[in-house]
Order: sequence, then structure tokens, then C-alpha cells
Amino acid sequence: MSDRDKVWPTGLTEAESEEIHRHLIQGTQLFGMIAAFAHLLAYIYSPWLH
Amino acid sequence: MIYGKMWCVVKPSVGIPIIIGAVAVGSFAVHLSLTLNTTWVKKFLNGSAAQVSAIQSDTVQPVAMLVANDPARK
Repeated sequence: MSDRDKVWPTGLTEAESEEIHRHLIQGTQLFGMIAAFAHLLAYIYSPWLH
Repeated sequence: MIYGKMWCVVKPSVGIPIIIGAVAVGSFAVHLSLTLNTTWVKKFLNGSAAQVSAIQSDTVQPVAMLVANDPARK
């Protein structure tokens, strides 16, 4: 018996939930990379940690 | 994907703003506390303007004294 097509209380199926989660993870990774780059620039060009 | 099914039980319209808001508030708090508890962040954000004005006020008086004490100008 497959629950993949079951609509859960939020109105989503498991496949839809995993799709949202995939996009959320990708957004988090992009944010993290931009933030890491910004911190690298801050380390190079500001007195931070010097 | 780990936790991929969480949106079956948490409404995305509730959970995603909570996650993004928590990141925003945490990030703001860290940077605000850095600004308030260190001296170099304020100096750095003010740029070189403070140093330039300090140099001007330090150099104007010695130059004025040199001009005032110059015998050729009397």
C-alpha cells in the first residue's frame, strides 16, 4: 500500500512536501555561500579578526 | 532527503517564515552586538573622515604658528 498520493493535513502529498523541502535546502545553500563570500570580503577588507 | 516530509505536517506558509525570520533575527542580533560591543566596527563604518578631520586639526595650528613666527612676513 502506497501513501505517496495521500493528502496530509497541510494539503500536500509527500512528493509535494519533498519538492518544497528541496527548494528550501537549495535556498539555504545559496544563502550560505553568499554569506560565506561576504564574510571572506569582510575578513579581507575590514579590521575584523586582525 | 532527510526531513523532506515535514511539510506534510507543518504548513509551509507557517514554517518557512519562522525559519527565515529566525535566521534574520539571529543574524541581526549578532551584528548589532558586534557594533555595540566593539570599537573598531564604528570606526571602520565611519571610514577615514574622522582621521582626516583629526589630521587637519593637528596640522592647522603648527602651520599657523610657523606663519606667525616668520620674520620675513613682518
